[in-house]
Amino acid sequence: MRRTRQAFDEQLEQLEQRLLEMGEFVEAMLEKSVRALTSHDVELAREVIAADDVADEMDISIEQQCMRLLALQQPMSRDLRTIGTVMKVISDVERIGDYSVDIGRTAIRLADTEYFKPLVDIPKMAELVRTMLRQALEALVARDLEIVFRVVELDDKVDRMWYRLQEELEHIMEQRPEVVRQAVPLLLVARYLERVADHSVNIAERVAYMETGRLETLAASHRADYQPEGNQPAERPEAKPE
Amino acid sequence: MTSAQISRAARAEKAAFVLLWIAAGTVILPVLAILVVMAWRGAGGLSWSFVTSTREGLLPAIAGTVALVAVTAAIAAPLGVAAAIYLSEYARSGRLVRFIRLSIVNLAGVPSVVYGLFGLALFVTLMRFGRSLLAGACTLALLVLPLVISASEEALRQVPRGLREASFALGATRWQTVRRVVLPNALPGIITGLILAVGRAAGETAPILFTAAFLSLSHPFPTSVFDPVLALPYQLYVMATEAPQVSEVQKWATALVLVAVVLGLNLAAIILRARLRRRRW
Amino acid sequence: MTTQADTPHILRPAGEIKLETRRLALFYNEFRALKDISVAFPARRITALIGPSGCGKSSFLRCLNRMNDLIDGARVEGEVLLDGTDIYHSEIDIPLLRRRVGMVFQQPNPFPMTVYDNVAYGPRLHRAPGRADLDEIVERSLRSAALWDEVKDKLHQSALDLSGGQQQRLCIARVLAVEPEVVLMDEPCSALDPTATFRIEELMLELVERYTIVIVTHNMYQASRVSHYAGFFLMGELIEYGETVQIFESPKDRRTDDYVRGRFG
Repeated sequence: MRRTRQAFDEQLEQLEQRLLEMGEFVEAMLEKSVRALTSHDVELAREVIAADDVADEMDISIEQQCMRLLALQQPMSRDLRTIGTVMKVISDVERIGDYSVDIGRTAIRLADTEYFKPLVDIPKMAELVRTMLRQALEALVARDLEIVFRVVELDDKVDRMWYRLQEELEHIMEQRPEVVRQAVPLLLVARYLERVADHSVNIAERVAYMETGRLETLAASHRADYQPEGNQPAERPEAKPE
Repeated sequence: MTSAQISRAARAEKAAFVLLWIAAGTVILPVLAILVVMAWRGAGGLSWSFVTSTREGLLPAIAGTVALVAVTAAIAAPLGVAAAIYLSEYARSGRLVRFIRLSIVNLAGVPSVVYGLFGLALFVTLMRFGRSLLAGACTLALLVLPLVISASEEALRQVPRGLREASFALGATRWQTVRRVVLPNALPGIITGLILAVGRAAGETAPILFTAAFLSLSHPFPTSVFDPVLALPYQLYVMATEAPQVSEVQKWATALVLVAVVLGLNLAAIILRARLRRRRW
Repeated sequence: MTTQADTPHILRPAGEIKLETRRLALFYNEFRALKDISVAFPARRITALIGPSGCGKSSFLRCLNRMNDLIDGARVEGEVLLDGTDIYHSEIDIPLLRRRVGMVFQQPNPFPMTVYDNVAYGPRLHRAPGRADLDEIVERSLRSAALWDEVKDKLHQSALDLSGGQQQRLCIARVLAVEPEVVLMDEPCSALDPTATFRIEELMLELVERYTIVIVTHNMYQASRVSHYAGFFLMGELIEYGETVQIFESPKDRRTDDYVRGRFG
């Protein structure tokens, strides 16, 4: 005997599954784009740029599925929040795809440039950022607020890395003006990675909303009183009383 | 289902239909028989003079029946309808109500000759009405009271509950609801019941035997309710048992007239109910 | 995970409270149909009562205008306060109460009379208004019920000739003619098609400017469309009561959540 609204439950599961797939796809794009940058791999970079079309299609298709569920299933309460969350999250994921393309383009631009020093911080940052994205989407599917908290903590780390990198690159440019032609694009890449982290935190915050019904700013960097140099603890999202 | 099963089912269906049709048809036979026999034996005696003449004819009997039935209705109708209204609209379930209903059922089962004796004892003797139209009407009223109450209650019950609820919800009292909504809608059924009761009363012999009826040549028509009265059933009874000089044809003709009266009343009830129903709903 | 015995989540709305119950219980002979219901209905708002079939919401509604008095063996405990006065007080004038708190039923039940007589029924009960007054009352009520234009040429035809949706609006007009303060509606659209349903919902949103409305509905989407406050009933108890937006977006009780998401049973 089927459960009440089992068909709808299955459709919701399928929706989340497709979101996960889009997330994995875009995470791969990010990984490849940074690898293309560090190893001067133009082919790889071009792959990433082409992949964006696929990511965009996924965005539109998942959005349509959400609209269809809204129209036909009259979802309420957490079902409604789930669908609303998926719709917002695909936006963030699609933007991350766009940033991967930007990094890929930078890789092509710097293809023939020998780096003034081997790229270490940028891949490290990229690693962290990819973890954030992966965990944010895990949190959505698992409905786990603990994971959300970890993502928010990572964001602080990434922010600090970004500011250090910014300082370092600016310092280098003052010292050795001839590296400006690579330093500036690399600064931008770091900036792109910081934005990807930001979008991942957005996703995490929306997962918290989906679970608790309350929309809250969790990341320190999203708060109005944010001081970039300081070390601020993230807010722990409160679980719903059940 | 297999075709063998289907045809077996079809045959059973046909057999059932035929048997039930025969059973229904069997009911018609006695009615037809009675009518045919009466017509055959009595039609010859039917003539205008017979029906209308006072001395030898049926006019006193007819007039007496009409009078009797009118007074009976005047007594039984208000009493019966009021009782029905109480039982249907006001009574809360409980011992008293159950007892009342039981009494009504019992009243319906009392043999008519017992009514006659009772009427003799109570109305004629104890209450000093004497053998009179009034005594007879009272006795007949008791006889038909269960009929009136049942028919009226049934009619009241047919009024949908939603109408009462709507009336109450608008702030009506129970009596206002009964008077303005329930009663008007139950009226066709109540009137039908009354007419049937009247038809029954018109045809009863035993109750009026001791209480009202008489055969007198000098005062054929009652002048007040305390006068005795002649009625068709009694006339027929007398003709059949005591008057050897009355011809067979006349007896059957009287019977024919009586049956015509009762049938006529029943028919009127049916037609009235049909017309009222069409107008209301 | 909270147990069933915890305090139900019942909001007390801010602002003027028109009608409220305190520890209301209803018994049919020995059977307890409603258990300990305390809820407050704000003035000039629509409150919807939702819940699965047989959970007692209709029985509860009928307590609010003492229609349960008509049922043999029904007994009420607790209080129902209309503007602060207990309607189960022994000296209450019940017909007057039922004028102040009107009711519309699930099956449209117009009297088998003309449209005019239906609407005039209530006013005629309590006083004998003159012809001109009555005409005005009838027109005003039919206009308020968004029915005037459709029946103004048919006022003296039988009400039974109207369509289902029109009959239900006629029943609403009938209630409005006695100038109530509260209008109770017991699944008013159950017997109607979707178009008629939407018209009546529109009508409710107009009427709420002047009347306090409490509606029982088994269609929770209707509740989500028109009501300001919603209460969830289950097996004779009020489980949760609050602003409609909260009940449907993030219910506090697990059972309410299951119900609004259609995961019951």
